[in-house]
Amino acid sequence: MIRRLLASPAGAGGLGALLLERVRRRFLRSPQMRGYALLSPTLFVMLLFLVVPLGILFTLSFWKQDGLFFAPAFSIDNYVAFFGRIIYSKLLATSIGTSLCVATATVLLAYPMAYCLAFRIKRAKIMWLILITVPFWTSFLLRVFAWKITLGYQGVINSGLMTIGLISEPLQFLLYNRFSLVVTLTHAWAAFAILPIYVSLEKIDRSLLEAATDLGDGPVARFFGVTLPLSMPGVIAAFLFVFIPTVGDYVTPRLVGGTGGIMIGNIIQTMFGRGNNWPMGAALAVISMTTITLLVIVTLWFIRKMRQR
Amino acid sequence: MQSKRDVQKFIDDMKLGRLSRRDFNRGLASVGLGLVAAPLASRPALAAAEDHPTVYTWGGYEVPEMYGEYLAKYGEAPNFSLWGDEEEAEAKIRAGFHPDVGMPCSYKIKKWNELGFLKPIDTDRLEHWDNVIDVLKEVPDTFIDGKRLMVTGWWGLTSVTFRTDIAPEYIPEENHTWGILWDPKYAGRLSMIDSLIDGVMVAAIYSGAADPFNMTSEEVAKVGDLMREQRPLLRFYTNDLTSWEQGLASGELVAAASWNDTPTKLIKDGLPVMFMNPKEGAMTWTCGIVLFNYVAPEMEERAYDIMNAYLSPETGEYWIGEFGMGHSNIKSFAQFSSEELATRGLPPDDIPGYISSGIFQATIQNEPELQAMYEEVKAGL
Repeated sequence: MIRRLLASPAGAGGLGALLLERVRRRFLRSPQMRGYALLSPTLFVMLLFLVVPLGILFTLSFWKQDGLFFAPAFSIDNYVAFFGRIIYSKLLATSIGTSLCVATATVLLAYPMAYCLAFRIKRAKIMWLILITVPFWTSFLLRVFAWKITLGYQGVINSGLMTIGLISEPLQFLLYNRFSLVVTLTHAWAAFAILPIYVSLEKIDRSLLEAATDLGDGPVARFFGVTLPLSMPGVIAAFLFVFIPTVGDYVTPRLVGGTGGIMIGNIIQTMFGRGNNWPMGAALAVISMTTITLLVIVTLWFIRKMRQR
Repeated sequence: MQSKRDVQKFIDDMKLGRLSRRDFNRGLASVGLGLVAAPLASRPALAAAEDHPTVYTWGGYEVPEMYGEYLAKYGEAPNFSLWGDEEEAEAKIRAGFHPDVGMPCSYKIKKWNELGFLKPIDTDRLEHWDNVIDVLKEVPDTFIDGKRLMVTGWWGLTSVTFRTDIAPEYIPEENHTWGILWDPKYAGRLSMIDSLIDGVMVAAIYSGAADPFNMTSEEVAKVGDLMREQRPLLRFYTNDLTSWEQGLASGELVAAASWNDTPTKLIKDGLPVMFMNPKEGAMTWTCGIVLFNYVAPEMEERAYDIMNAYLSPETGEYWIGEFGMGHSNIKSFAQFSSEELATRGLPPDDIPGYISSGIFQATIQNEPELQAMYEEVKAGL
């Protein structure tokens, strides 16, 4: 129907149809427009559920909480408050520190797995890939609780060690501190590190490795001279994939962090919950987003400089 | 296509190819329209759900034993929607969710009233009002400007549950104190409830503040220092009762701030625990039933019936028996022997006296200041 209407300039309402026809012609001629049209469902969803909420968050961060309601006046008080109270910057710093530990540990542990997958396994690679992701089919929360059970006072590790007779009393330092937080997060995000590293290792041209061997490189020199540099894009991607989301995590610190494992996400959540200060929470969210973005940009810039040399 | 014959004709025409495309499309369209309209036709099925008020409450409060009277009268349950905590409920109601009956705790009433959520309750329409324990009618902030905004339904104490085998020196009544939660001897084996009302207020009571719910700045600073002193001694702050119950059961925790259902459960499992009656005063929490402003006039009768059901002695019996917490209907205690009450941490003879022995939870006056202090303590500042 619409097609026919568009196609005939003499359709109902002469001039209108003519205009429509011109728009359609232009639309079909421009590859850019066609690209956007193809993207449009995704673009629409992104606009509606990402850009608009971000805009709201940004606007909200300049408002003020007036008792139970918002006062929609522009002020930078919330941002001033961030620097006025040491707690916010301290929590942001500890969150970034924790995430750096997590991302480093994840990449270090994921690399050998990805390496094995890319170079050692010859048959049924798909099956192995799926097997590696199997633990991640369960809920994130379940995995956190699994760690709670493993590291707990009467958990697997403690009761195991006690049965062997290595310790007489359960170890307290296993759970409810920054250590358990890093362990849990490292495991929870492992899949996000293994896959990008695997992809970049898989892409390495095997003849380069042969050439290195022919020219007299041992396995170690070959790894550091050829394999590692060529897989760096995957390593960096994996690092960022883990680092960026973990900075803002709040469920894991709440469940396994104990009294010492509070992160910036927890305080943002408090602000939106019982703290009853949404504008401050919004400002904190904007600040942490900006900080992370800046950190990532600086890192990427630095890496590029290194490569140019 | 009104009758069977028409349908038959339609099929025959189709087989013989006598059907024009337009006829065929019309046939298909009528089927489609019928499908779309079908839910509208089964109106009675929807009506059942709409004819009952919506109760917005805690998980676990929606079991049939809680509203037996209502079930008997209408043969159907009211609609339920469950909240995780009252903050979540508040956010959802502000965003436009409009339930009819709710069950928050007393310290929320003032704020909810200011937010315009609540409708005053006409106590003359409550069957069991005369049996509600008198001290519970005077819980702070449930009666504002001559308006009854919450009817207390249930209550309990916040105090310390501790392992009598690990910390026997605290067993004698005169040694009962909140101070066990600050005892360096049990460093790393203590826990606090993670909230202002059950956590920071505990520290406030321990600090000896004149009115914990309305403290001066110096008093707040003192509470802050106490909590800073306590933080390294704690295993965790949590508001998940399973965490502290499991902690106490395994011996990971020696003492935990808790509600009085914790000792009930642990004693049932044969664990050597005791619920303190601290010399600084335990804390009495009271929660109950409110009527939301959104209740439609034709729903009001049923909303009152729900309140009546929850306040009935039968519900009270279930409450005391299953939860080990108190109910507001004095008659509901009659069914229990002195020993049964005692194992639940409830005194057999003087229930009203026991309730008022604790410090009633009230609206916290300087909430933002305390919240800021609490955040800093938890962040280790």
